[in-house]
Amino acid sequence: MTNITDKTSIIDLFILPVILIIIWYLICDVFMMIPSYMFPGPVEVFNAFVKLLLSGKLFKDIIATLYKVLVGLLLAAIVGITLGLILGWSKRLERISTLIVSILRPIPPIAWIPFSILWFGIGSKPAIFIIFIGCVFPILVSTIDGVHRTKGVLIEAAKSFGASNTQILTEVILPATIPYIVTGLKVGIGIALMCTIAGEMIGSSSGIGYMILTSTNLFDTGSTVVGMLVIGVLGIIFDYIFTKIQERIFW
Amino acid sequence: MAFRVENVSKKFISKGNIEVLALDHINLNIETGKFVCFVGPSGCGKTTLLRLMEGFETPTEGQIYDDDELVTQPSRERGFIFQDYSLFPWLNVMENVTFGLKIAGKPEEENKQRALAYLEAVGLKDFADKYPHELSGGMKQRVAIIRSVINQSRSLLMDEPFSALDVQTRHSLQKQFIGTWADKKRTTIFVTHDVDEAVFLADEIVVFTRRPGKIKKIYENNLPRPRVRDTQDFRDLVNQITQEIDETDE
Repeated sequence: MTNITDKTSIIDLFILPVILIIIWYLICDVFMMIPSYMFPGPVEVFNAFVKLLLSGKLFKDIIATLYKVLVGLLLAAIVGITLGLILGWSKRLERISTLIVSILRPIPPIAWIPFSILWFGIGSKPAIFIIFIGCVFPILVSTIDGVHRTKGVLIEAAKSFGASNTQILTEVILPATIPYIVTGLKVGIGIALMCTIAGEMIGSSSGIGYMILTSTNLFDTGSTVVGMLVIGVLGIIFDYIFTKIQERIFW
Repeated sequence: MAFRVENVSKKFISKGNIEVLALDHINLNIETGKFVCFVGPSGCGKTTLLRLMEGFETPTEGQIYDDDELVTQPSRERGFIFQDYSLFPWLNVMENVTFGLKIAGKPEEENKQRALAYLEAVGLKDFADKYPHELSGGMKQRVAIIRSVINQSRSLLMDEPFSALDVQTRHSLQKQFIGTWADKKRTTIFVTHDVDEAVFLADEIVVFTRRPGKIKKIYENNLPRPRVRDTQDFRDLVNQITQEIDETDE
């Protein structure tokens, strides 16, 4: 993330977007070089934005998407962190699970969509399942990595105070792993946003992905672009939040 | 007898599957309450023996007894102090110092009062809520020492604790250690490559040979306390031991 320190850098930040919007405006709205059912101009996008905002639909869809993202991420965090601590701690269990994890991990979450619909029908659940699949591996892998990188002397120090294995896990390995867990969550939430939109375009009847798909079917391309930009803005916000959290972790 | 080291050997498998004999049939008795220093050239196995005595590792051959109890794993009765302090970076000074007491399930309020007394004794009371990365090396090691001595273990094993510090800080910590924390009831085993440090601190100085590590000689150090570096006796003993080590180096 750019560190904004003075006026010039703020200006720098907005130069390119403003130029692009002007060019876009000229192409679509002034010279009408592209028909609006192919791609909308900024005026149409703005109008669609105002309409969606005033009707409350935009807010509702954002909430629906956020709900799925956060529930999926939360489930993935619970499973990924717990398994990660256990697999990182036990060399044997890690060896036993390594093939399964290596095979499942590269499968794109979207490939799970058919099963998500078979198992969970329609609604929020299949999307949450897809998000879970997408997030759980980065969280699992970075948690395992964090456990491995826990300094041996810290574990030895705890042992010299008579700490049990459980105490070593909760009092030493877990805190030592937190920076890696946060990195995993940060990667996970980016993937989660992608998965949500894909999930919502198929089995869902709410959320930004659903909004993008239905508006395109109605040739309301303005709303499509609004939906796309909202996803981008959500991404920036999450990235900012996690960057702030990472800055607060000093070990 | 605090420690009985019987016929202890330790082999390591180094890279390329080569066996390295770090310790070769060591026999050593350490009396309760003694301050013992292990000195020797680097790679002589003195740290290895200390780690075996704590129970971090097990001997390839032989046994170690702590108060007639076979050492098989680390114990809260044997405090261990590391060269690089190894404070928990996510805990502040107070939380670090009370870590062992918390692990033992002691009541929090009491632990805090005790920790404050220990911190106050060395002028670190105002740093109770600072984190390790905000402290100097000397402060960190003082916190690490308090974190161990506060548990009142039977013995304290120290692995070159002052070697990363500058000379002034090292000398002031040596004095502080002897003056504040050294306890006649607690056995202290202190590994160092600094002969001057060993003569300043120890009742007994165990000199190791180069790998495979064996005990070459044990010196009784009867210099009166508090010790002063600037005396003939002090320098004589330092020279004698330094010569002994240099011979093993050849």
